[in-house]
Order: sequence, then structure tokens, then C-alpha cells
Amino acid sequence: MAFISSGYNPEKPMENRITDIGPRKYDEFYPPVIAKNKGQWLYHEILQPGVLVHVAKSGDEVYTVRCGGARLMTTSLINEICDLADKHCGGYVRWTTRNNIEFMVDNKSKVQPLIDDLSGRKFDGGSFKFPIGGTGAGVSNIVHTQGWIHCHTPATDASGPVKAVMDEVFADFQSHRMPAPVRVSLACCLNMCGAVHCSDIAILGYHRKPPMLDHEYLDKMCEIPLAIASCPTAAIKPAKVEINGQKLNSVAVNNDRCMYCGNCYTMCPSMPLADKEGDGIVIMAGGKVSNRISAPKFSKVVVAFIPNEAPRWPTASKVIKNMIDVYASDARKYERLGDWAERIGWERFFEKCEIDFTHHLIDDFRDPAYYTWRQTTQFKF
Amino acid sequence: MPTVEFSGKSFSVDEDGFIDDYKNWSEEWVQYVKAQEGIDELNDEHKKVIEVLREYYEKNGIAPMVRVLSKVTGFKLKHIYELFPSGPGKGACKMAGLPKPTGCV
Repeated sequence: MAFISSGYNPEKPMENRITDIGPRKYDEFYPPVIAKNKGQWLYHEILQPGVLVHVAKSGDEVYTVRCGGARLMTTSLINEICDLADKHCGGYVRWTTRNNIEFMVDNKSKVQPLIDDLSGRKFDGGSFKFPIGGTGAGVSNIVHTQGWIHCHTPATDASGPVKAVMDEVFADFQSHRMPAPVRVSLACCLNMCGAVHCSDIAILGYHRKPPMLDHEYLDKMCEIPLAIASCPTAAIKPAKVEINGQKLNSVAVNNDRCMYCGNCYTMCPSMPLADKEGDGIVIMAGGKVSNRISAPKFSKVVVAFIPNEAPRWPTASKVIKNMIDVYASDARKYERLGDWAERIGWERFFEKCEIDFTHHLIDDFRDPAYYTWRQTTQFKF
Repeated sequence: MPTVEFSGKSFSVDEDGFIDDYKNWSEEWVQYVKAQEGIDELNDEHKKVIEVLREYYEKNGIAPMVRVLSKVTGFKLKHIYELFPSGPGKGACKMAGLPKPTGCV
């Protein structure tokens, strides 16, 4: 398409420039029933998986239908969401912090037509466009990242594994059979964008090879002291190298100290480390952010490596499905996965989930590693 | 890498318009970036920022932190943005011939 100006004048970039106006204020988009009863809610109930009702002091009710979203979506899908909101909800819709979509109506009679409309819609491939669920003690949407769609440091994909895992656990998105909610997250490298470090089950992209050094360009592309300071294990030092008879400033990587975090590549484009066979995923488990009963927890590494198996990641989804099933049948009511593992002991967790315990899982990062070892005789055979 | 011609000189640049090598910087490069960055006229303050950036990079091998740049030049961040509308990274560092800022930017 030929160029169509928006009215911006590249000759005078600062002319008529509007800045620092921030986002639109949230209450501009409140449905009337929400605006009216803000701060006046009495109680809520989950009527069925994916459907909630909130009752206000005034007696007003608002019914919420939550449905899954792929997070990465086209404008045509968003237009369809808007059409649905226009048709059923007076044009109002909202997104949750796990990227589900919530449609709200103010009358019980409007709920069933909305549910029927949402659950009837499918993509040409057969997938549900708006599967209803994600409430209560089930498996809600997976918080995830860019992956091979857009990022330059990933060790795995995001959208692909998320689709594979959600397909595997889809029944639990639409039911409440878990002892407590199970939060699953994915990050495609250990920058851990998102929630992997504090989720019940986390999928994390991981490298297994040290960076390659592009000596010829390194000093030109990179600020060498930054690359050196980016290394958590001090594996990088400055070095002089000779390329084609030319003395160049560069860095040297001590491969014995490198644990393939990829931080140096983030800072220096001449140190790429992605590798088809080397890269894969790590599974972590047992994190949470809420303060309910027990304090928030970090998730712990439970599977050191599973190879990338695009497009369906069968090994990883099987491990996760199995972990969820064992947790569902073994944990007590209200017990999050981390609470359960800590109560029965991690040695029992590995036994019950039939996960191999390897030396990779034993912390060896600096002084705090010591506190993760067992300084007691209390353990189960 | 694409090359750009400006005032009879040619420069290799990346897709964001940063120069390929700090050493290939010249006065013409400043004039070329000026046109790209929406700066009408270069004054002494622009030149001071560029000079400080180049001096700091030559001495330390990194671009200065924004607070350091502010303190050494005496220009508040707001003033640096007035001089370089794209900011100290995309505007000033590019004009000074420093490597492209990296990290989660």
C-alpha cells in the first residue's frame, strides 16, 4: 500500500506533539452496573466453571462469564470480541490478569444466551474461540511470553508449548476438580518475564551451550565492560584476539564457569548462544504469590531438561499433565501444589510424580545454596 | 549492512541507523544523524553532550549512565530530551557514534 500520512510532519517532528497523557482512565469503560455499585459489593459466588455472580448492597447483580484467550490475537478476533460485547453486554468487556476475557451482564436471563453464543464459536481448525472456564480450583490461562514470535533471546517457543499444554489440561480449565487453583506459566528464557518464578507449575526455556564469540564484531557492537558485568558467575573476561592479522579487543569465556544464562547475549549481540539441540525447557513447581495460609513461595526446579519438540512438545505436556493429576488426587483441599509438596516432603513429591531426581536440581549458586540442602535427619526412605 | 552516503562520505549502518564502528565516526556522521533525528541546528550544547559521550566511551568502554551524563554536562534529563528528542540513547549516542544500547530496552 502506498504511504498514507496520519498528519504527522517528519520535517517538524515536535510540532503538535502530544505526550505524557497516560492511559485512559479505567472508569470511562465501566459497565453501568459496575460504576453504580463500585465499592459496594457484598459477596460473590461461582455458579459454574467460568461463570461468577457478584451481588451488591443495593441488590444489583452482575454475572461474569470468563473465557480463555490465546493472548496473541488478531484484530479480527478482537473485533469479534467487540461484536459479542455489543450484542450481549452493552459494548463492555474486560481482560483479566491472566489474559482471559470476561463478559459481564446485569441480568440472569442474559447469561444463558451469552454462554450459548460463546461456546458455539469455533475456528476453522476446530478449536474453541471462547472456551468458558478458568475460575475456582482449576487450571486457568497460562501466563506466557514472546518466544520465537518476537524475542531474540528465547530458548524455546511460548505460544506453541502453551497451546500444547492447554490442550492437554483443557478439561481442568472447564472444571473445578483441583484441591486449589493451579497456576501454570511459561517464560522462553530465564529472564523469566511473567510469573514462572512464582507459579504452581512453570515452563522455562533453557540453554545448554556457552555463547559463540563473534570476535570480529564484538568490540564494535558491544560495550565490553557491560558484557563482563552481566555474567552472574564471572565467566567472562576481557581479551585481545588476533583475527586476520588484526589485533582486536574482545572477551574470553571460561566455559567451565558458564551456566548458559544468556545474560551476556542480552547485553552484547556478538555472543549468541541459541542452539537447536542444546536448547529446551526446564519444569519448575511449587510457587505461589498469595498469602493464603502459607507465605508466597518461589517455584523450584523439578525437571532439569526436556528437549524442544515442536510443534506439540509431547514430553513436556505429558510431565505437566501427570504432575497435575497426581497433585489433584493426593493433595488436601485448599492445598496449593507447593504446600502439598512441602507437607509430604520433596522426596515423596518426586516419587509420586515419577520424576527422576538428578544432580542438576541441587542448588550450587553462591552461599544461599547451602540453605537448600538438608541439615536434618528427618527424611523418608 | 546497508551503507548510507552523506556529504561525499559513506557509512555502514544497521537497521536502526547506528554506525557499524565507533572509529568510523566523523563530523559528516553528526550532520547525517541530525537530519534523521529531527534536530534543526546543532548548538554548543549538542556538541558538549557528544563530546562527553565520546570521551567517556573512549576512556571506559561503555556509554555513561544517564545520571553521569547529566552530572558531567550539567544538563538535566529534560534538557537532554530538548536537545535530542529521541533521548540520550537513540539520539545522542547514535550521533556520537557509540554502539546501539542493549538489554531490555
